[in-house]
Amino acid sequence: MSKSKHKTNDVETFSEKEPELKGTLIAVFGLGAFIVISWIIVYVLFVSR
Amino acid sequence: MTMINNTSINKDDSSLVMAHMWVAFVSLFVGGLMGLLQTLVRSGTLTLPFGIGYYQILTVHGVILALVLTTFFIIGFQFSLMSKTVGMSNKQRDSAWFGFWIMLFGTVTTAVTILLGKASVLYTFYAPLKAYPTFYIGLALVVVGSWIGCFTNFRQLYVWKKKHKGEKSPLLAFMVVINMLLWFIATLGVAATVLIQFIPWSLGMVDTINVLVSRTLFWYFGHPLVYFWLLPAYMAWYAIIPKIIGGKIFSDSLARLSFVLFLMFSIPVGFHHQLTEPGIDPVWKFIQVVLTFMVIIPSLLTAFSMFATFEITGRKKGYTGLFGWIKGLPWKDVRFFAPMVGMIAFIPAGTGGIINASNQMNQVVHNTIWVTGHFHLTVGTTVILTFFGISYWLIPALTGRKLTAKINTLGLIQTIVWAFGMSIMSGSMHIAGLLGAPRRSSYSTYGGTEQASEWIGYQIGQAIGGSILFIGIILMVYIFINMVFLAPKGHEEFPLAEVSDDAEPTPMFLENWKLWIGITVALILFAYTIPFIDIIQHSPPGSPGFDMLIR
Ligand code: HEM
Ligand SMILES: [Cu+2]
Repeated sequence: MSKSKHKTNDVETFSEKEPELKGTLIAVFGLGAFIVISWIIVYVLFVSR
Repeated sequence: MTMINNTSINKDDSSLVMAHMWVAFVSLFVGGLMGLLQTLVRSGTLTLPFGIGYYQILTVHGVILALVLTTFFIIGFQFSLMSKTVGMSNKQRDSAWFGFWIMLFGTVTTAVTILLGKASVLYTFYAPLKAYPTFYIGLALVVVGSWIGCFTNFRQLYVWKKKHKGEKSPLLAFMVVINMLLWFIATLGVAATVLIQFIPWSLGMVDTINVLVSRTLFWYFGHPLVYFWLLPAYMAWYAIIPKIIGGKIFSDSLARLSFVLFLMFSIPVGFHHQLTEPGIDPVWKFIQVVLTFMVIIPSLLTAFSMFATFEITGRKKGYTGLFGWIKGLPWKDVRFFAPMVGMIAFIPAGTGGIINASNQMNQVVHNTIWVTGHFHLTVGTTVILTFFGISYWLIPALTGRKLTAKINTLGLIQTIVWAFGMSIMSGSMHIAGLLGAPRRSSYSTYGGTEQASEWIGYQIGQAIGGSILFIGIILMVYIFINMVFLAPKGHEEFPLAEVSDDAEPTPMFLENWKLWIGITVALILFAYTIPFIDIIQHSPPGSPGFDMLIR
């Protein structure tokens, strides 16, 4: 089996089929934001006590 | 298939798994009833009759739900996965049954002791509270029985691998073995404290107990315990839900990697439960806090992986737009809906966990009912709803029956009832906790202080939420009975997902068990050796028992 041929094949299928994951990206960002905001709320409570 | 059989796995394995399921669902009912009573007592609505103590029912609740229900469900479920993916020989099944009977005997021993009022020490059994010896002996038997389960699973994969030289192990079998490794390593700590400290002390062979050592060994076990609950839910999320929604596993390697990371980072972190505890060097507390934050990595990997599975599947079905794929998910299929609601609950649940573990910030929430609110989201919603979601196909698959449309609908209702009741109960717990309300306390006006009067509205909130939850428990128990005895005979699929064609091949190093176990042990030794020696060397005098304190 020729390694280089295998590689190019892979790259082709890769670029053709690369799934669209925009929603996932935004959702994960949203999740991160939720964590950070909740954390800050309790942090403020901690500092103010 | 050579035999015509309705059950999705062979009959003998089905009976084994069903035995575990019976214990789990009986526990659900008993434990749930105690939960309801607790909320009613705490809100001043009810006084317990017949001299039953608040801590007696709270011990039943904690032990039977957090220790018994979970362990039996998980071990049973995992046997079904192993049977399906790598098979089970007669000998292995015999040893599995042996483990089951030992666990059951231990459970009954402990339960009877608690019910007789001789062990109102709560499920954490902190010294110097002292229970009657059979409480600890029963618990030790549960652990020993579970070890037999561990080694049976290890053996199953080992035998499979010998027959399939050079192949990677089936994903679910890999996950089961990781979880059982985690359990085995973790329970060594609790076994040590129970056998070396509690049993001799409770039998009167020694007068005192080293409290800090016992609590440290307990939490060495207590944190991985929560991952032992969570990982079977993740097995379903990663490797079963994709099939149910008509998709594929996003990435086999990513799933394995996250399990390996959970194994490594869920054990050397027990100090995050002891942040307010005197006698532990703050430097080592800090180090374990840092290690705790490492589990955020596999948690977010899991979140990403789930979103990606959903989006890809939705888009393949033709739903477009940024979030259009959400409509492509089978919301009316309870096998998806229940675990999905569990996943959503994990967003606030995991966030709360990060807050709890944030070193100094822990002081805001420590020993408040916020913590109770937190783990009713994690184990009481995320894990339990996923287990319910599994039951909707697993139980009929085991009993050779069908999940009917009616039960499916009832399951959707059950899930909504649970989510609604829990939002009220857990939400009230979180807020009351931030206002300072303590956990593990019966009804009290605290001498009429102003601060305590702020809590009572939330206590009533908990009672309302708890009553709704109890309706959820009755529904679930009915659903279980239906799937065992009443549903029409038929074939129910055992959904095992395949890996997506887009996924990269899994690198073999993920199967390097010696490496993963080595790193895990090294991390544990690093995180615990020095502080543990320090704890022993600088111990205050041991404590006598206080067995009359909280009857
Ligand atoms: C009907 C459903 C439920 C209700 C009404 C309920 C209610 C409660 C309440 C009010 C407490 C706190 C009592 C206190 O700190 O004074 C509590 C504690 C606890 N619950 Fe639940 N719960 C329910 C279901 C569950 C489930 C499904 C699990 C786990 C699988 C669970 C695990 C626990 C644990 C581990 C504790 C801590 C016990 C302790 O602090 O020693 N609960 N529950
Ligand atoms: Cu923890």
